[in-house]
Amino acid sequence: MTIAATGKKKYLIALLVAMLLPLSAMADEKYDLLQQQVEAMQKQLEQVREALKQYAEQSASKEEVAQEVTELKKDIARAAEWKDPNTLIHLSGYADVGYAKSNIADGSFNVGSFSPIFHYQYRDLVMLESELEIEVTDEGDTEVALEYLTIDLFLGDYLTLIGGKFLSPIGQFRQNQHPSWINKLTSAPPGFGHDGAAPVSEVGFQVRGGFPMGNMFANYSAYIGNGPELNSTIEDGEFELEGIEAEGFGKNSNGKNVYGGRFGFIPLPGLEIGISGATGKATVTAIELAHHDEEEPDEHGDEEPDEHDEDEEGGDEPDVDFSGEPARDYDVFGFDFAWGLNNFRLRGEYVKTKIGADEVGITASPGATWETWYTQASYLFPQTNWETVLRYTDFDTPHSSQDQQQWAVGLNYLFASSVIGKFTYEINDGEPGSQANSNRWMFQLAYGF
Amino acid sequence: MKTIDFLKVQPVFAISTLLIALSLPSLALAADYQEAGSFAQGAKSWANNCSRCHNMRDPQDLRDDQWNTTVFHMRIRAGLTGQQTRDILTFLQESNNTVKAEPVVLTTAVSNSGSVLSGSDLYNQTCIACHGANGKGTVPGSPDFTKPQGPLSQSDEVLMQRIVEGFQSPGSPMAMPPKGGNTNLTTTDIQTVLGYLRENFGN
Repeated sequence: MTIAATGKKKYLIALLVAMLLPLSAMADEKYDLLQQQVEAMQKQLEQVREALKQYAEQSASKEEVAQEVTELKKDIARAAEWKDPNTLIHLSGYADVGYAKSNIADGSFNVGSFSPIFHYQYRDLVMLESELEIEVTDEGDTEVALEYLTIDLFLGDYLTLIGGKFLSPIGQFRQNQHPSWINKLTSAPPGFGHDGAAPVSEVGFQVRGGFPMGNMFANYSAYIGNGPELNSTIEDGEFELEGIEAEGFGKNSNGKNVYGGRFGFIPLPGLEIGISGATGKATVTAIELAHHDEEEPDEHGDEEPDEHDEDEEGGDEPDVDFSGEPARDYDVFGFDFAWGLNNFRLRGEYVKTKIGADEVGITASPGATWETWYTQASYLFPQTNWETVLRYTDFDTPHSSQDQQQWAVGLNYLFASSVIGKFTYEINDGEPGSQANSNRWMFQLAYGF
Repeated sequence: MKTIDFLKVQPVFAISTLLIALSLPSLALAADYQEAGSFAQGAKSWANNCSRCHNMRDPQDLRDDQWNTTVFHMRIRAGLTGQQTRDILTFLQESNNTVKAEPVVLTTAVSNSGSVLSGSDLYNQTCIACHGANGKGTVPGSPDFTKPQGPLSQSDEVLMQRIVEGFQSPGSPMAMPPKGGNTNLTTTDIQTVLGYLRENFGN
């Protein structure tokens, strides 16, 4: 081997070493990178393990899920108890406050009445209904009366049996129109209040319901009850009938029942025509020595005097034994209609009550007739809350001082469908000097709830 | 010895027997409580019967359970049949449901078609009770569709929104419930019935 060859070999070796040095450096960088990647993956793996551990801790087993579902179903069932129990309890009713002024008396603010209605219903089998009538008297006392209390047994789709004290089904006003949020005027039509021509309520049993007649409908009611009682008075030394109290007495004063009912026919939607009547016996149970001519009807049109009035006069009713008083004939006839088209409403009613003569009793006197009718039209102005009302009533009694013809005009504002502000002006035509002849205007705010 | 006047007792006995016989089916009736009624028939019965005596109450005035006792109370007062009672109750209980207000998006143009039911069927099923066959309204506060400046003068978007969410016309004592009370109506149904309104009552 020559020196030149040896030198050339060294040169090649040196060249190779020089070329490999950068490769070695590159291998170190790749190693570091790989190491970093491995470490990162290890960290991620640890995070995943931690997440899995937490998920496992937070996740429920099948058994736990089933348990939760069971609890949830129980909660739903408990919530449904409030919605669909067998027994439902509901409080509704109506109230009104107002102001009235007549041309022979000072104006007065008044609490018309507070009339809560209680409903207790067991499924669709039975319902208990009761309305109280709570009023503040002129003297500031509070009077509570049971307007009605019935247990209604729904015997079928077309028949309901009702027992207790119920609103008279004669006509429509007493049973459907008298609540202040429904009555479009502040007062009842003369003759349809207490002591009027139309009976107010009855104690007994009633069957009622509705049924289809082809495309038309009909409704009916038939009842048996204790019947009314009569008041008598003395005029020119002779007895005469003073008034009929048909307000659901809790006893039968003569042992004879009153039978009555109503048949309503609905030939067209919005039109109802009804005919009603009652017959039986009624007996005088009280003698009033003073007429109630001077009693001003209250804002509900009731002519019944306050209990205090009698006390103040030292007792209007003499102590008389009426046990032998004979029963007189008692007959009532009624006709009513109601029709509505869009914003217009028209309704009317006629009621006649006839009491027979008594020739042998303590209060023997001829018979007497009370008769009243009204027609009412109302119109709700479109796209407004304003409503106008006009009503005419003619009330005839055996006493000229109680006879009355009345025009009543009203302007109402409907704050809501059951919250109504009513302005009413009555033009009354009766015996000069009597209450029946005094005009008056009234304001009433009525709320049905 | 006390005697019984047979002529007096006989009518009472006959009536009692009749009532007992009539009461037997009531056991089955009570077992079905609450039996669902027809929404569409309920809407008609509600419109035809309630306003005869009083102002129409808004279905949203009361909860379902409160409507239950209230309608049964009215069954007595108005002489309703059991079926009318169930129908009206179904209508009121479905009409007081609230619908979540969401923007209405018209996916297709409003027309008197597109739904499974025709516009006429949908109108007769849900709307006719209050709006009437002639579109002039049958209950107080129900607007007249045929008036040039009536509801149909509004755009489709506005009317769709009002139908979906419910709407109370100015001065009306009560509001139309969402979807007219028929929550089963789809957007397509509403578009179809709106097309029917424009075709039959629009100017």
